Amino acid sequence: MDTTTEFRKFSANLDSLEPIREFLTGLANKLGLDKSRTYKLCLAVDEIATNIINYGYLKSGITDGMIDVIVDSNKELLTVTLEDTAIPFNPFENKLPGEVDLALPLEERPIGGLGIMLAKENVDEFRYEFENGKNRNIFCVNLK
Amino acid sequence: MNVSISKNENIVIITAEGSIDSKTAGDLQSQIMGTVAETNNVLLDLSGVSYVSSAGLRVLLMIYRQIKSKNGKVILVGVSEEIRDVMSMTGFINFFEITDSIENALNSF
Repeated sequence: MDTTTEFRKFSANLDSLEPIREFLTGLANKLGLDKSRTYKLCLAVDEIATNIINYGYLKSGITDGMIDVIVDSNKELLTVTLEDTAIPFNPFENKLPGEVDLALPLEERPIGGLGIMLAKENVDEFRYEFENGKNRNIFCVNLK
Repeated sequence: MNVSISKNENIVIITAEGSIDSKTAGDLQSQIMGTVAETNNVLLDLSGVSYVSSAGLRVLLMIYRQIKSKNGKVILVGVSEEIRDVMSMTGFINFFEITDSIENALNSF
Protein backbone atom coordinates (compact mmCIF):
# COMPACT_ATOMS: atom_id res chain seq x y z
CA MET A 1 0.00 0.00 0.00
CA ASP A 2 1.27 3.48 -0.85
CA THR A 3 2.53 5.31 2.16
CA THR A 4 3.29 9.02 2.12
CA THR A 5 5.77 10.49 4.57
CA GLU A 6 5.93 14.10 5.67
CA PHE A 7 8.69 15.33 7.93
CA ARG A 8 9.37 18.55 9.78
CA LYS A 9 11.85 19.60 12.45
CA PHE A 10 10.82 21.90 15.29
CA SER A 11 12.87 23.60 17.98
CA ALA A 12 12.18 22.00 21.34
CA ASN A 13 10.56 25.00 22.95
CA LEU A 14 7.00 25.91 23.81
CA ASP A 15 6.76 28.31 20.86
CA SER A 16 6.72 25.22 18.64
CA LEU A 17 3.55 23.73 20.12
CA GLU A 18 1.15 25.73 17.99
CA PRO A 19 3.13 25.23 14.74
CA ILE A 20 3.24 21.47 15.45
CA ARG A 21 -0.55 21.42 15.87
CA GLU A 22 -0.98 23.46 12.70
CA PHE A 23 1.32 21.10 10.77
CA LEU A 24 -0.71 18.09 11.93
CA THR A 25 -4.07 19.75 11.36
CA GLY A 26 -3.11 20.60 7.78
CA LEU A 27 -2.12 17.00 7.02
CA ALA A 28 -5.14 15.54 8.86
CA ASN A 29 -7.48 17.78 6.86
CA LYS A 30 -5.93 16.55 3.61
CA LEU A 31 -6.54 12.98 4.74
CA GLY A 32 -10.17 13.74 5.56
CA LEU A 33 -9.90 13.18 9.30
CA ASP A 34 -12.87 14.82 11.02
CA LYS A 35 -12.60 17.81 13.30
CA SER A 36 -13.00 15.91 16.55
CA ARG A 37 -10.39 13.25 15.76
CA THR A 38 -8.01 15.87 14.41
CA TYR A 39 -8.34 17.78 17.68
CA LYS A 40 -7.69 14.60 19.65
CA LEU A 41 -4.59 13.74 17.65
CA CYS A 42 -3.26 17.28 18.14
CA LEU A 43 -3.98 17.05 21.85
CA ALA A 44 -2.19 13.70 22.23
CA VAL A 45 0.89 14.92 20.36
CA ASP A 46 0.87 18.32 22.09
CA GLU A 47 0.87 16.76 25.56
CA ILE A 48 3.87 14.55 24.79
CA ALA A 49 5.73 17.33 22.96
CA THR A 50 5.21 19.48 26.07
CA ASN A 51 6.77 16.75 28.23
CA ILE A 52 9.73 16.41 25.88
CA ILE A 53 10.31 20.17 26.03
CA ASN A 54 9.60 20.76 29.73
CA TYR A 55 11.14 17.60 31.19
CA GLY A 56 13.16 15.64 28.67
CA TYR A 57 15.38 18.34 27.27
CA LEU A 58 15.36 20.42 30.44
CA LYS A 59 16.59 17.46 32.52
CA SER A 60 19.17 16.65 29.85
CA GLY A 61 20.52 20.19 30.13
CA ILE A 62 20.13 20.56 26.36
CA THR A 63 18.98 24.04 25.37
CA ASP A 64 18.97 23.75 21.60
CA GLY A 65 17.14 20.43 21.28
CA MET A 66 14.93 19.53 18.37
CA ILE A 67 11.76 17.51 17.94
CA ASP A 68 11.32 15.71 14.65
CA VAL A 69 7.73 15.19 13.61
CA ILE A 70 7.29 12.41 11.09
CA VAL A 71 3.86 11.73 9.64
CA ASP A 72 3.26 8.54 7.68
CA SER A 73 -0.08 7.93 6.08
CA ASN A 74 -1.81 5.48 3.83
CA LYS A 75 -5.48 4.78 3.24
CA GLU A 76 -5.83 2.94 6.51
CA LEU A 77 -3.55 4.50 9.02
CA LEU A 78 -2.12 7.85 10.03
CA THR A 79 1.03 7.55 12.15
CA VAL A 80 2.71 10.49 13.84
CA THR A 81 6.15 9.91 15.32
CA LEU A 82 7.91 12.37 17.59
CA GLU A 83 11.65 11.83 17.82
CA ASP A 84 13.90 13.56 20.30
CA THR A 85 17.39 13.13 21.66
CA ALA A 86 16.67 14.10 25.27
CA ILE A 87 17.17 11.65 28.14
CA PRO A 88 15.05 8.48 27.86
CA PHE A 89 11.54 9.25 29.06
CA ASN A 90 9.05 6.43 28.91
CA PRO A 91 5.56 7.85 29.41
CA PHE A 92 4.29 4.37 30.28
CA GLU A 93 6.40 4.36 33.43
CA ASN A 94 4.57 7.38 34.77
CA LYS A 95 1.79 6.84 37.25
CA LEU A 96 -1.48 7.83 35.65
CA PRO A 97 -4.52 9.14 37.46
CA GLY A 98 -6.85 6.20 38.05
CA GLU A 99 -10.64 6.15 38.17
CA VAL A 100 -10.54 7.02 41.84
CA ASP A 101 -8.41 10.12 41.19
CA LEU A 102 -10.63 11.23 38.32
CA ALA A 103 -13.71 11.00 40.51
CA LEU A 104 -12.22 13.05 43.36
CA PRO A 105 -13.56 16.54 43.89
CA LEU A 106 -11.40 19.07 42.09
CA GLU A 107 -10.26 20.48 45.46
CA GLU A 108 -8.46 17.22 46.21
CA ARG A 109 -7.36 16.24 42.75
CA PRO A 110 -3.71 15.45 42.03
CA ILE A 111 -2.98 17.17 38.74
CA GLY A 112 0.04 15.18 37.53
CA GLY A 113 -0.17 12.63 34.76
CA LEU A 114 -3.20 14.15 33.05
CA GLY A 115 -1.22 14.98 29.92
CA ILE A 116 0.03 11.42 29.44
CA MET A 117 -3.45 10.07 30.11
CA LEU A 118 -4.83 12.39 27.43
CA ALA A 119 -2.14 11.24 25.00
CA LYS A 120 -3.12 7.60 25.47
CA GLU A 121 -6.86 8.13 25.33
CA ASN A 122 -7.03 10.33 22.28
CA VAL A 123 -5.47 8.16 19.61
CA ASP A 124 -6.16 4.57 18.59
CA GLU A 125 -2.69 3.46 19.56
CA PHE A 126 0.13 5.10 21.45
CA ARG A 127 3.55 3.51 21.87
CA TYR A 128 7.00 4.45 23.01
CA GLU A 129 10.42 3.21 21.92
CA PHE A 130 13.97 4.16 22.77
CA GLU A 131 16.46 3.32 20.08
CA ASN A 132 19.85 4.64 18.95
CA GLY A 133 19.76 7.36 21.56
CA LYS A 134 16.36 8.60 20.44
CA ASN A 135 13.02 8.70 22.20
CA ARG A 136 10.28 7.81 19.80
CA ASN A 137 6.64 8.49 20.72
CA ILE A 138 4.29 7.00 18.16
CA PHE A 139 0.62 7.91 17.73
CA CYS A 140 -1.65 5.96 15.38
CA VAL A 141 -5.07 6.92 14.10
CA ASN A 142 -7.18 4.51 12.07
CA LEU A 143 -8.51 6.13 8.93
CA LYS A 144 -10.89 3.34 7.90
CA MET B 1 -3.98 34.01 23.28
CA ASN B 2 -5.87 37.18 24.22
CA VAL B 3 -7.54 37.81 27.54
CA SER B 4 -9.90 40.57 28.57
CA ILE B 5 -11.57 41.14 31.89
CA SER B 6 -14.75 43.10 32.57
CA LYS B 7 -17.30 43.41 35.36
CA ASN B 8 -21.05 43.16 35.49
CA GLU B 9 -22.10 44.18 39.01
CA ASN B 10 -20.39 41.60 41.26
CA ILE B 11 -19.57 39.17 38.45
CA VAL B 12 -16.16 39.11 36.80
CA ILE B 13 -16.32 38.22 33.12
CA ILE B 14 -13.11 36.76 31.70
CA THR B 15 -13.00 36.42 27.95
CA ALA B 16 -10.22 34.28 26.50
CA GLU B 17 -9.40 33.86 22.83
CA GLY B 18 -7.02 31.54 21.03
CA SER B 19 -5.32 28.37 22.24
CA ILE B 20 -4.64 27.48 25.86
CA ASP B 21 -1.59 25.22 25.77
CA SER B 22 1.58 24.96 27.87
CA LYS B 23 2.94 28.07 26.19
CA THR B 24 -0.09 30.32 26.84
CA ALA B 25 -1.60 28.90 30.04
CA GLY B 26 0.96 30.69 32.23
CA ASP B 27 0.12 34.08 30.66
CA LEU B 28 -3.58 33.47 31.09
CA GLN B 29 -3.09 32.49 34.70
CA SER B 30 -0.96 35.49 35.59
CA GLN B 31 -3.40 37.84 33.90
CA ILE B 32 -6.47 36.58 35.72
CA MET B 33 -5.47 35.28 39.14
CA GLY B 34 -5.35 38.71 40.79
CA THR B 35 -8.90 39.43 39.68
CA VAL B 36 -10.12 35.96 40.56
CA ALA B 37 -8.71 36.41 44.07
CA GLU B 38 -10.93 39.44 44.58
CA THR B 39 -14.28 38.08 43.47
CA ASN B 40 -16.72 35.28 44.30
CA ASN B 41 -18.33 35.06 40.87
CA VAL B 42 -16.49 34.23 37.66
CA LEU B 43 -17.97 33.91 34.22
CA LEU B 44 -15.37 32.46 31.87
CA ASP B 45 -16.20 33.00 28.22
CA LEU B 46 -14.40 30.42 26.06
CA SER B 47 -16.34 31.11 22.84
CA GLY B 48 -13.13 32.25 21.16
CA VAL B 49 -11.00 29.41 22.50
CA SER B 50 -10.30 26.75 19.90
CA TYR B 51 -7.94 24.55 21.90
CA VAL B 52 -7.36 23.54 25.51
CA SER B 53 -4.67 21.10 26.67
CA SER B 54 -4.00 19.77 30.18
CA ALA B 55 -2.19 23.07 30.87
CA GLY B 56 -5.49 24.85 30.23
CA LEU B 57 -7.31 22.42 32.51
CA ARG B 58 -4.81 23.35 35.21
CA VAL B 59 -5.87 26.99 34.90
CA LEU B 60 -9.53 25.96 35.16
CA LEU B 61 -8.66 23.97 38.24
CA MET B 62 -6.97 26.94 39.84
CA ILE B 63 -9.93 29.21 39.19
CA TYR B 64 -12.26 26.56 40.54
CA ARG B 65 -10.25 26.05 43.74
CA GLN B 66 -9.89 29.74 44.37
CA ILE B 67 -13.61 30.47 43.93
CA LYS B 68 -14.82 27.31 45.65
CA SER B 69 -12.82 28.19 48.78
CA LYS B 70 -14.96 31.33 49.01
CA ASN B 71 -18.21 29.46 48.30
CA GLY B 72 -18.45 31.38 45.06
CA LYS B 73 -19.48 30.27 41.61
CA VAL B 74 -17.75 29.66 38.27
CA ILE B 75 -19.78 29.44 35.06
CA LEU B 76 -18.29 28.60 31.67
CA VAL B 77 -19.77 29.86 28.42
CA GLY B 78 -19.03 28.90 24.81
CA VAL B 79 -17.27 25.61 25.47
CA SER B 80 -16.72 23.82 22.15
CA GLU B 81 -17.62 20.18 21.74
CA GLU B 82 -13.94 19.23 21.56
CA ILE B 83 -13.13 21.05 24.79
CA ARG B 84 -16.15 19.46 26.46
CA ASP B 85 -14.74 16.06 25.43
CA VAL B 86 -11.42 16.85 27.11
CA MET B 87 -13.26 18.01 30.23
CA SER B 88 -15.35 14.88 30.39
CA MET B 89 -12.53 12.40 29.93
CA THR B 90 -10.69 14.05 32.81
CA GLY B 91 -13.75 14.31 35.06
CA PHE B 92 -13.62 18.12 35.05
CA ILE B 93 -17.01 18.47 33.44
CA ASN B 94 -18.90 17.48 36.59
CA PHE B 95 -17.56 20.41 38.56
CA PHE B 96 -18.34 23.25 36.20
CA GLU B 97 -21.61 24.81 35.30
CA ILE B 98 -21.67 25.30 31.54
CA THR B 99 -24.23 27.48 29.75
CA ASP B 100 -24.70 28.44 26.12
CA SER B 101 -24.95 32.21 26.40
CA ILE B 102 -23.58 35.05 28.48
CA GLU B 103 -27.14 36.19 29.28
CA ASN B 104 -28.06 32.79 30.69
CA ALA B 105 -24.83 32.71 32.65
CA LEU B 106 -25.38 36.15 34.15
CA ASN B 107 -28.87 35.10 35.23
CA SER B 108 -27.50 31.99 36.94
CA PHE B 109 -25.38 33.76 39.55
